[in-house]
Formats: sequence, structure tokens, C-alpha cells
Amino acid sequence: MRDLAKRRLQENLRQSLKYLVLVFNDFFILALIFLFGALMFWYAQTMKTMPENLWYYRPLVSILLWLPLLIGKLVTLLKPADLQFLLPEDENIKLYLKPMLNYSLIVPTICLVLTAGILFPFATIKARIELIDYIFAVLAVFLAKLLQLKIMEHNLFFNRKISISLVNIFFLFLFGLGMFKPKSLLIIAGLLVICLIIFVLKPQHAALFDWQYAVDQEKKRKNVVFNAFSMFTDVKERQTNVKRRKYLDFLLPKKMALENPNKFLYRRSVLRNPENINLIVRMTAFAVLVSWLVQNWLWALGLSCLVVFLTIYQLVPMVDEFDDNIMYRVYPIEHTNRGLDMVSALAGMMLMQWLIISISWLLTLPVNLHLFEAMGCLVVFSWVVLRLYLPAKVKKRKS
Amino acid sequence: MTLKIEHLTGGYTGVPVIKDINLEIKPGEVLGVIGLNGAGKSTTIKHILGLLRPQKGKITLNGIDLAAQPTKFKRQVAYIPETPVLYSELTLKEHLQLTILSYQLDEKQAWAKAHELLQMFRLDDKLDWLPIHFSKGMKQKVMIVSAFLANTKLLVIDEPFTGLDPLAVANLVQLIKSAAGQGKMVLMSTHILANSVQAVSRYAVLNNGKITAAGTLAEIRMHYGLKETDSFDQIYQILSQEQQNA
Repeated sequence: MRDLAKRRLQENLRQSLKYLVLVFNDFFILALIFLFGALMFWYAQTMKTMPENLWYYRPLVSILLWLPLLIGKLVTLLKPADLQFLLPEDENIKLYLKPMLNYSLIVPTICLVLTAGILFPFATIKARIELIDYIFAVLAVFLAKLLQLKIMEHNLFFNRKISISLVNIFFLFLFGLGMFKPKSLLIIAGLLVICLIIFVLKPQHAALFDWQYAVDQEKKRKNVVFNAFSMFTDVKERQTNVKRRKYLDFLLPKKMALENPNKFLYRRSVLRNPENINLIVRMTAFAVLVSWLVQNWLWALGLSCLVVFLTIYQLVPMVDEFDDNIMYRVYPIEHTNRGLDMVSALAGMMLMQWLIISISWLLTLPVNLHLFEAMGCLVVFSWVVLRLYLPAKVKKRKS
Repeated sequence: MTLKIEHLTGGYTGVPVIKDINLEIKPGEVLGVIGLNGAGKSTTIKHILGLLRPQKGKITLNGIDLAAQPTKFKRQVAYIPETPVLYSELTLKEHLQLTILSYQLDEKQAWAKAHELLQMFRLDDKLDWLPIHFSKGMKQKVMIVSAFLANTKLLVIDEPFTGLDPLAVANLVQLIKSAAGQGKMVLMSTHILANSVQAVSRYAVLNNGKITAAGTLAEIRMHYGLKETDSFDQIYQILSQEQQNA
């Protein structure tokens, strides 16, 4: 089992590196350096003018140090087929999970070290936490992460499951308390070590391994990772979980008379497939945010037009979404006008996107005649992209 | 009004799985296609559904050529696959609505029939469910309800009994018989002969991609030298020996 774990960890590392290379491409690295540099400059400038030892500094330090606890779950790399092939391996599962737990610590530890490093000047100078207390605080967070992962491991057996959210809230409370009485951080770290020893020494042989739960948890964890990667690149392993979203049914036409099979399918895909609806929501929120940041109607219009175009551009693959479904090919469904069917299905959503962006402009930008002209231009641009660009792009894709 | 498969040779790119198949189904006839795994049953079905392009031969339904008029041809065919395939985005009700839209059915009449079928398969209280909440058997029932709702001239059914409870098997057999009674054509591939004999009027035996025998149950038994006391399932042993000798 240990060998299997090592093999899977190597495969996982290889896969993660493949996506990390794609995510952290040259442009992204450059943008990241600029962003990080700007943030550090702002931090250094703010530190100069910031008053010292305000009451909320220490709770703030405890909250920021606590955040890395939320990053990373127990990596088990269990697969659905393990339910069949590893089922009699309950006794050896501890051997399998040991290297997994060590691996699971890597990312949270890196995040903790980074956070602790960035926070160090603020914590020691402004919040006036002594160096030794700060070190104990960081050590306590590390031990808390280790304990949290051990609890996740404990939950994989048919034991009484311990709520990880409650554990996290408890740790936040503990660190908050520790920051007000920094000397108690040593005691907190000591207590966490004792808890860990109890967890490590606790015999778990009697408990059966909850294979179904473990496989489901791993599937969820992997999907979170793939979702993060998919914001930057295509991830073929990613599974989409369709949600019913009954509250959005009002956006579907009540009468079937004007519907055809393609429109019918696309409308539901837009509302229920998280890839599509999340994209529209994300892009709309982005347009609202950049418009607020630029505080200028012309820039807001230009950037919002870009967002509208990118939304439609990224929705083009939706046209082939059902091609792999055998029933879609067996049913007598015409495939010739799919571009126009997609236009009908997206028209309502694009109108809503325009409406939300326009309302946000009215709320955040100086209201004048230019702003109303910009709103008019945006709706015309949306119409052109939707009615002319999308069908042409679909046609080109087909040929 | 017949399904005619003439000199059909086909399969996957470069690999002919079925060779020179000739079949005909007349109205009111239920044809059971039987054979061992890999004999070419599913490949034949995929050709009839237009999912594979024939290397040779022709498939027509009531004179409509599948290759020339695919949509018109498909409008006369309903299909129940071996593994249920549903749209993850659609509820059960919406699957039926899509069937109504695709086959251009009269909404009022179709819903009346749909409710009958839903009650028969105990799905009438699950109209708002997404496929993710259905068991495999329930998904198969959704496929059955959709196919019979389509009210087509030809029904193509691939291994219909796997995953169904005995009550649903009995209901399906009854539906197939009643469809044949209404003059519809049914092509059914199955391994479970005990269930199929209740509904099938004629058999075609496929082995190594060729039809080795066709006819009624008695004719098939005679062809393979089976006594009256022998189980019909023994045919598989004979087919296996034929494969080894080939």
C-alpha cells in the first residue's frame, strides 16, 4: 500500500506540475510580479504612516495567520475503482495514508510561511508581538493544520465524524485568545502537540475504513483543484456538477410553441451547467469591478465591451456540448441552425448582463449624458456580438 | 411499411464487424437479434440509428433512405440503449418535453400517454428530478417511457432487460407486445432469452458478424438441432463452438 501511495503521489505531482506550468505562464508570472510588487510597495508605504498598537491589530494578525488553515485538505488520491479493488485493504490503509498526510502538508506550509513572512513587520512593529511569541504563534498554526489533517484522516473511518468547520472556528477562537495573552501561545502549541500525540497513538484498527466517503471526499477535493486550474486553462479531468437552480426557472419560456430541441437544451445548459452560468456571473462581476475602479465612463464602456465579447467568445464551445450524448444524435434534431438557436438561448442572459453593468454604472460612476450614451453603446455592442459574431463563429467552427 | 437492411457491411474505421447483412422487419413484427458478445448486434443497431456510416449496403424504412434523408428517417425511429443516457441538465419532465419537441408530437395527446407510462413505471412523482438522483433502473425506465412516448413506426431496443426489476420487465414486455399489436416494428437485441420469447415473433442469429439463421423460435431450434426439452439458452454454446471452429 505504501508503494501504491508513492506511485500515486508521483503521478499526482506530475499532473499538478503539468497544469501549474500552463497556469504560471510567462505573462501570468509577469503580471504576478507587478501585482506583488505593487502590493508590497503599498504595504511599505502604509506601514510608515500607520499608527501603532491599535486594539484590533492582534485579532487581525490572528485572523490572517489562521487563513492558511483553510487551504488544503487531506490528499488521499483514492479512485472510484478502489471501492472494488482495495476493499479488503482496511488494515493497511494507515500505511497508505501516512505519505498522503505528509504530502497534504506541503501547500498549506508554503502558504503559512509566506503569510507569516509578509505579516512579520506588521505583527512585530505595529501589533508589538514579541519575536518569540510570533514564532510560537506560527508553530501553533502549523500544529493546528497537522491536527486538522489528522481529524480529516479520522473522519475517513466509520468513526463519529468531527466537523472540520467547527474545528476551524475553534482554532480561530484559540488563536484570537492567544494573541491577547501572547505568553499563552506556548501553552496552546503544547496542547496541540498533546492532542496530536493522542490522535497518532489512538488505535484505529477496530474501525472500518469508510471507502465510499473517502472516495467521495477525494472526488470533491480534486474538483476544487481542477476548478482552480480551469480558470486559466482547459482541464479535461474536471467534472461538472449540474445544479437544478429552480429559482431561475422563471427565465425559461412557459410556452413550447416557439421552442425547438436545440433552444430547449441550450437554455437549460446556460442556467444549470455551472461552467456556463459561473462564467457569465464571473464576467459580469468583473465588468462591474473594473468599471468602479476606472471611474471614467469611456474606460468603463471600453472594458465592459471587452468583457461582453469575452463572455460570448468563451460560450461558443457550448454549441457542441451535447454532441457526445448518443440520444442527441439519435433524436431527429436539426443541426443546421444551432448558432441561431444559441443566440435565442443567450439573449436573455446577455440582456441581464447589460442591465446589471448599467445599474452598477449609475450607482458608482458620475451620472451625466455620456454615461447614458455609454449604456446605449454597450447594448448595441452586445447585440452585434450576439447576433452577428456568435452565429458566424459557430458556422466557422462547424466548417 | 418495412425496415429493410440490404447487404449491410460496416463497423468501425477499417474494421468491418458486420458482413453482408440482410434483414427485413414487417409491421407488427418483433425481431429478436441474438448472438454472443462481439457478434455484431450493437454495431447493427448503430447502423440502423445512423450512428455509423455503412461501408456497403443500404438501410430504408418505409422507403426512406437513412443516408439520403436522415432526419425524416430518425423521426420514425425510437431507441432504448443498453446503458441509459440522459441529459444531466434536464429533469424527467423536460426529457419528455424534449421528446415531444423532437418528434413533433401533439402536446396534449403526448402528455396523456406520458402520464400513463409514468404511472406504469412508478415515475409519476419524480417529474422534477434531475438524472443525478435516479438509480440505474430508474434511468432505464426514463429511456423506455421516452421511447414509447415518441410513438414511432420502428422501435430499436438494445438489451432492454438489464437493470430492470421483474415488474418493469413484465411492463416492458407488455408494451412491446402492444406496440406490435398496433402494427409497429420492433428490433430487439438481447441475451435474456427467457424474457424475449414472450414478445419476439422472429429471431435473427448473428455470429462473427453474419446472420447464420433467421426464423421463428421453432425454426431456430430446428436449425441448431435443439430438442423440445433442451433449453433455448443452449444456442449460445453452439454459437461459441461455431466461433471456435471458424
